[in-house]
Order: sequence, then C-alpha cells, then structure tokens
Amino acid sequence: MHYPIGLLFDLLASSSALPWNITVHFKSFPEKDLLHCPSKDAIEAHFMSCVKEADALKHKSQVINEMQKKDHKQLWMGLQNDRFDQFWAINRKLMEYPAEENGFRYIPFRIYQTTTERPFIQKLFRPVAADGQLHTLGDLLKEVCPSAIAPEDGEKKNQVMIHGIEPMLETPLQWLSEHLSYPDNFLHISIIPQPTD
Amino acid sequence: MCKIHFQIKPGMLMSPPGTSAHVQTCLPMEEALELPLDDFEKTETTTGSKVIKYEYHVLYSCSYQVPVLYFRASFLDGRPLALKDIWEGTHECYKTRLLQEPWDTITQQEHPILGQPFFVLHPCKTNEFMTPVLKNSRKINRSVNYITSWLSVVGPVVGLNLPLSYARTASQDEGNVN
Repeated sequence: MHYPIGLLFDLLASSSALPWNITVHFKSFPEKDLLHCPSKDAIEAHFMSCVKEADALKHKSQVINEMQKKDHKQLWMGLQNDRFDQFWAINRKLMEYPAEENGFRYIPFRIYQTTTERPFIQKLFRPVAADGQLHTLGDLLKEVCPSAIAPEDGEKKNQVMIHGIEPMLETPLQWLSEHLSYPDNFLHISIIPQPTD
Repeated sequence: MCKIHFQIKPGMLMSPPGTSAHVQTCLPMEEALELPLDDFEKTETTTGSKVIKYEYHVLYSCSYQVPVLYFRASFLDGRPLALKDIWEGTHECYKTRLLQEPWDTITQQEHPILGQPFFVLHPCKTNEFMTPVLKNSRKINRSVNYITSWLSVVGPVVGLNLPLSYARTASQDEGNVN
C-alpha cells in the first residue's frame, strides 16, 4: 500500500525472524484495495507528495517551496540510489526550524494499528506546549490514541514501535521527528499487541 | 461530502439532477472528515456504449487546512479506470497543464477513511487560488461559499461540473458566509 517496507514489517511481521519471507503475486492485482505503481514517476510523485505534506505541517510549506526543482530531484535521487549524503544535503533543510521557535509548527506523524478499521491516525499536534515544555511521545499517544498506552498500574498490552524499536514514551516528539522520521519526513508509528512469549 | 454520477462514454454527460444537494461550509476541523451529503445517482440505459461511474469525495486536509477532492472512476462491472483514462477524459483546456506535470497535479493516495485507492487533486495550490477569491468578495461585500467556489474551480478539471443551481442555493442559504 505504498507504505515504507520497514513500517510493513513492524506492523505485520515484527515477530518473524529475518530475512522476512514474502510471497509475491503476479496475477489478480487488487485494484480496488491497493495503489498500483505503474512507473517510477508514480512512486517519485507519491514520495514527493508525502514530503510536501510533511513540510506543510512543519513549516507551512515554506521550506519545500523555497527549494528549486533540482533540489526536489536530488532528494528523490538520493533515496533511489541509496546516497546518504546526497539525500541529507537537502533533507537537513527540512529538519531546521526558526531560532525563535523550539520546534516545528506541527509534527508529521501517522499511527497504524491492524486492529482498527481506519488505515491510520493523523492529526494536528504541536511539539511544544504553550508553556514551552516539549511534548513527548507519551503525550502524543495520550492525546490521539489513548488505547495504545497501558494505565498506570495496568499490564502493558501494546508495543509502540518506530523503525523496529520501542522508543521511551518520555522521548521528546520534536527529537523523534528530527531523527527518527522516515525519508518521507513522517514518523510512521506502529501499535502492535505485546508478544506473549 | 460525496457524489456519484454516471457518464456515458464518449463524452455525453447526463443533465444534472433537479434536486439541490445542499453544500455545507467546511468548518475547520482537526481531522480528515467526510461531511455527509445527500448522495445522488443518476442512471440511464443505453445500447452499446459503456457507462462509467464517477465517485467524488470532498475531504478536509488538516495538513494543508483546505478541502481536497478525492475521486475514482470505474466501469459498471467494477473495473477501475486508470489515471490515463481519466486524463484523456478531461476537457481540452486543462490537458496542456496535465500533460506537462501529470503527477504533480493528480496523484493516487489511500483514502484516509476508506483505505482504498483514490485519485487526489493535489491541494498545495488551493490557498493560492482561493485567497484572491475571498479577498475580492470581501472587498465588494459579497458573501461567498468557500466550498462551492473551490469546487467550481477544481471539479471541472476532473470531470465534475458543478451546475449553477449550487451557486443559487448557496447564495440563498444565509448561514454560509465565509
């Protein structure tokens, strides 16, 4: 579904041993349920549209709009060809914020759960509170997905996973957005049931 | 809001239904929300030509803080139309722009509520073209329904032609002042 492969693994197969064995189908593409990718251009367009949306949230699109077409191209080519320095030469500008602020305007994130109808949760959420305190991952979950976190004395029912690890809930969201976002500049967070073994 | 209409290929559009589907002004909300609308369909039987079902949804994007048009098209047997068929179906005057940068204008995305693939008219330019409309209407002290004006601009690009009855209804409805 055009989801980053790491997200798909966290969400669907995190308990599997690597390498992840998948079955590739060549017939009966489910057109109604999945995005088709007819060409590389389509994938590039989808990626850039995610980056643009992330910047709309972080900077009211100012940073992405100030860039030239060749910068956008460099971002995509860096990702396509696995060139870290080429990618980050542009991406670091998307991770900056004005000196007078303490962070981005809103944090680009999506929360995925296999147990719900909705494909994902995405809402407006500020990284900094009115009093200047940095919001944490725990604050975000409490606000937009309270069922994900266990009550104080209760048993931990879920894992909150990004890139295959469970960051501490006290981690500032701004930091997570700058350092743990996917290449599309979104934090893709999986809520999965706690493994029982 | 969503609307379904049927179109007979080639290019013969049905007359718009007489009922006025009232348009609600979008209130800024913190979620991609679908506002319920009387969704109306119209069918016509034909011999030999293909009927295409177009489905349009208006959602609110909290990221861009503007409305966004999601749409898809399929034949009556359920086979979806590819984007290139949709491009071919648009009016000549939009074709140049579409051909220059097809993927910048229309992309395929997952519907945030249904989870199914829809085509989306990219919202990044919406503020750019709506601002002068709003500014101007304030200058001449005239009320404007944001959604109707916006939809009359973006709809035709993807085959959704807004009948004049929408504008008439909107101006009669006192509550919809932006």
